[in-house]
Amino acid sequence: MTTLVPVTYKGGVYRHDEIMDLIDDLGGYVVQKHVMAQDVVLQSFVPRDDIDLIRRIAKPLAGEVAEAPLVGTEIAVVSPSLEIHHLPHPACDIAEYLRRVGAKTNMIGLARGFGKRIANLNDEERDIINEHDLAIYVLGNFEECIEKKFPAIRQGIHVPIVVTGAPDRETLERIIDPPAEGYVGGIGRIMHRFKRPEELAKLDELVDEVSRTLDARRDDIARDPLSVFPPRLMAILEEQIYEIALLTHPTPVTAQMEGLRVKLPYDLYADDLRALEIADGVALGDIADVLPSRMRNYILVRIKPFSETGILV
Amino acid sequence: MPQLKQLVVESPDPVGRDAYERVAAIVLQDLDLVKVVEHLYIYADPMVPIFIAAGRLRHMPRAIRVGDFANVNIGEKMIILDIADETYLAPLLQRLWGRYGKENVDQPDRFTVVLPLGVAGEEELEQIVVADPSETLYKDVIYALQYIAPEGFKVRRQYIKEGIFYYVASEDTLPGDIVETTVKPIFERMGVTL
Repeated sequence: MTTLVPVTYKGGVYRHDEIMDLIDDLGGYVVQKHVMAQDVVLQSFVPRDDIDLIRRIAKPLAGEVAEAPLVGTEIAVVSPSLEIHHLPHPACDIAEYLRRVGAKTNMIGLARGFGKRIANLNDEERDIINEHDLAIYVLGNFEECIEKKFPAIRQGIHVPIVVTGAPDRETLERIIDPPAEGYVGGIGRIMHRFKRPEELAKLDELVDEVSRTLDARRDDIARDPLSVFPPRLMAILEEQIYEIALLTHPTPVTAQMEGLRVKLPYDLYADDLRALEIADGVALGDIADVLPSRMRNYILVRIKPFSETGILV
Repeated sequence: MPQLKQLVVESPDPVGRDAYERVAAIVLQDLDLVKVVEHLYIYADPMVPIFIAAGRLRHMPRAIRVGDFANVNIGEKMIILDIADETYLAPLLQRLWGRYGKENVDQPDRFTVVLPLGVAGEEELEQIVVADPSETLYKDVIYALQYIAPEGFKVRRQYIKEGIFYYVASEDTLPGDIVETTVKPIFERMGVTL
């Protein structure tokens, strides 16, 4: 079986459809397409052996193919509040940087995530964070505050967590109990854009930490594969549900590691989605849970593992 | 350009101390207060929890008068105001309209305002107060301190008067004598009596 690897294609608008067709023909999937003025960025999964072929074909079009470890993941960047103390830097810079390596990032500003004694997390925030593949908590400067407030704002979160804060990595590891999946020290309340080399190095460190955490999760999934590869299901949905083409969202269907977020109203489309035949005699409802998302009125599709369904599409 | 003479940050947490020093420096720079704040002392202790900022302002900017940015020329038929700096042109027009009526204030081009002869003397026109930057400066200084302080510290007591300011904040209720016990000694070290 060919291994699909996440890559980013950057090139011009001119003849980019040929690249999209090529990826499709090779059995790959385009997860996200950004058109910015004359430039196109395609976040995609392509067979490992064919990357050179794509590079060769893209060369006359001045297109570049780069590995992007976070393609096909949806990451929550959680900030303790939406006040000027925590935004726009560093939360926006982190979210933006992760987008460059292919992740779909959502920023979540908690209603009452500030203060060491008064910090808390409400059920809506908890559920929305849990709909992601990973959560990055962008915390502040004081060790004492992080130690006291973090248990409150992680309560009920079962997705992997990467914590950032001003104390160094060792201190974060020491004060966070139970341990989080990843730590990046030295990023606290930064009141300016990340621009100095050491600040940019911190962002690279964060990308490495997030990739490492997600790779561990991918390994887990590989042991008991999903009934259908999410980007494949995404392609099927986009082909079969005409309304998706009418949505104006940048990503009408968002790929996650273990499912999809479909930006159609749950009340109107959930039943149709469950009944949708995605392979011979296999309905979507057989291999996935179609759930209401806490994010607006979207639909969350969680794909069940092979061990549960006995079906592999 | 006069710079901030002294920015002192103290905290039992060394990492937090360094971080707050950077935060304070950047906020003052962003809000263009470096020239205004002469001395700023910050003490932050998350264990208590308490955040204290105290300091002194350099001279307060004085009120801006017409004579500061315009030449008043009394001609034979009219009074011509020759504007050198447009910054205060809008408030100037507002003042002139209010005093002499719109029909008497003519502005043939960007840098010229014309008044009829005899409405006012040269001295009187030059002394008209157009704007007072200190009105907004107080707000800016308090905003900067709010911005620097940890966000969770919502309970606060602030003061700014005659070039001296302090800002005490905490997550918990502040004791009634907090200013006497904590802020006064800081001002004493600066050689200022509150």
